[in-house]
Amino acid sequence: MEIDHSNIENLHVIDAEVAEETNDSEVMTAVSTRKSIGPKTETPKQNENQKYYLLYFVLPFICLTAALLGGLRLSGLDGSFIFLKPALFCLIFASVMLVLFFRSGLIRLESWFSEDFEMTKNAANAAVLLSLFAATVQLFNSLLPEQGLPFWIVAFCFFWTLWNNLFADFDTKKLLQSLGGLFGLAFVVKYLILANLTAPASESWLRSIIENPAKETFTWLLDLPRFSAGTGYIQFFTVVLYLIGLFLLPQSTGQHRER
Amino acid sequence: MKEKYIQITGIAVAAIYGIFIVFLYAAEPRSLEEVTIKAKSTVENAVTKGQVIAGTYEIDAAKFNEGLQAFRQDNFVLARDGFDKADPEKRDPATQFYIAYSFYRQGWGRISNDDALFKQSLETLARVTLLDPNFRSNDTNLQLRTSVELKSELEEGLKITADDFNPLRLIRERK
Repeated sequence: MEIDHSNIENLHVIDAEVAEETNDSEVMTAVSTRKSIGPKTETPKQNENQKYYLLYFVLPFICLTAALLGGLRLSGLDGSFIFLKPALFCLIFASVMLVLFFRSGLIRLESWFSEDFEMTKNAANAAVLLSLFAATVQLFNSLLPEQGLPFWIVAFCFFWTLWNNLFADFDTKKLLQSLGGLFGLAFVVKYLILANLTAPASESWLRSIIENPAKETFTWLLDLPRFSAGTGYIQFFTVVLYLIGLFLLPQSTGQHRER
Repeated sequence: MKEKYIQITGIAVAAIYGIFIVFLYAAEPRSLEEVTIKAKSTVENAVTKGQVIAGTYEIDAAKFNEGLQAFRQDNFVLARDGFDKADPEKRDPATQFYIAYSFYRQGWGRISNDDALFKQSLETLARVTLLDPNFRSNDTNLQLRTSVELKSELEEGLKITADDFNPLRLIRERK
């Protein structure tokens, strides 16, 4: 076989390191398609590392921060912290939400966990999903009124919506739009409408009756807790953080074996 | 950094943060200053529980002596505080016996006894019997040195009998 020497001389020499082959060369396809991270001059290796940092550091941090803030309220009397543990309803709703995520394809479970992956990867993915579950539980804790009639009404509305969604044909975009609307409405109901119906915390019952008779009546009738105005701000950031977390969540973290 | 290291570090950081959140919801601090105080007491409790599990649990001798001193000065509330601090896990029969005894002495009255304190004494005494059924105190200043004797005295004190109306009771002495 003859070699054409003129062609060899015309070849361009590429001065670069040989790229290492990793187990997960097609890792996080969803992240890369959804977002372009960093300038175009970055090497693929750096870009890949950034995706890992995003998935295994930034995303759990955002979810856990939402989980931390979701149950935090500020007392209406002295502004002290009140940490409210989530009701059982919150856990049920969060489980239904995760099922919805799987059904709509927001999370492709088979590409998050696989026997082909290394154990550390499966464990790290489990940690990410666990933090997402915690954030979802606390989001419901944040948006559900604490007690009384409003709690049961809003809980029923959540249940009705999630139950219907469970049997509807959803794509990811529609699901996110539906959830955004649901959470936005719940936030408005709790932290704008109900909060404005609540009488301010006062040490004298008689004085509060004279100064705010209507609010005092609503507070008594609806059994509304008296929190500081700062609570609404904290919970606003909780909802925003949760939605950012959902936006950053990749559909898959690697290629799975076809079955 | 390699993918594996990022994943391991991510798990560790998420676990630490998660534990911190669980701690906050369990301890329920009311301010940022309280977070430090609650964290300190949580760590101390965890260390004590660890000592119990490892079998190396010991009472705080200094606190016990403070309690004993207060007990001998008839300052029973302070004495119990010292004993409680000396034996936070309530696992030392001698300390628990002193607590039971302090309830007895505080509740004892020449005319009538304080039933509530006597009942608390009996409850504490039940713990002593559980820890050491054959417990006997080394303190010679105590007239009732075993759980059985103290229990009998307490039960007698709680009963209402004809003997309670005997005027000679006024000259009886506390044990």
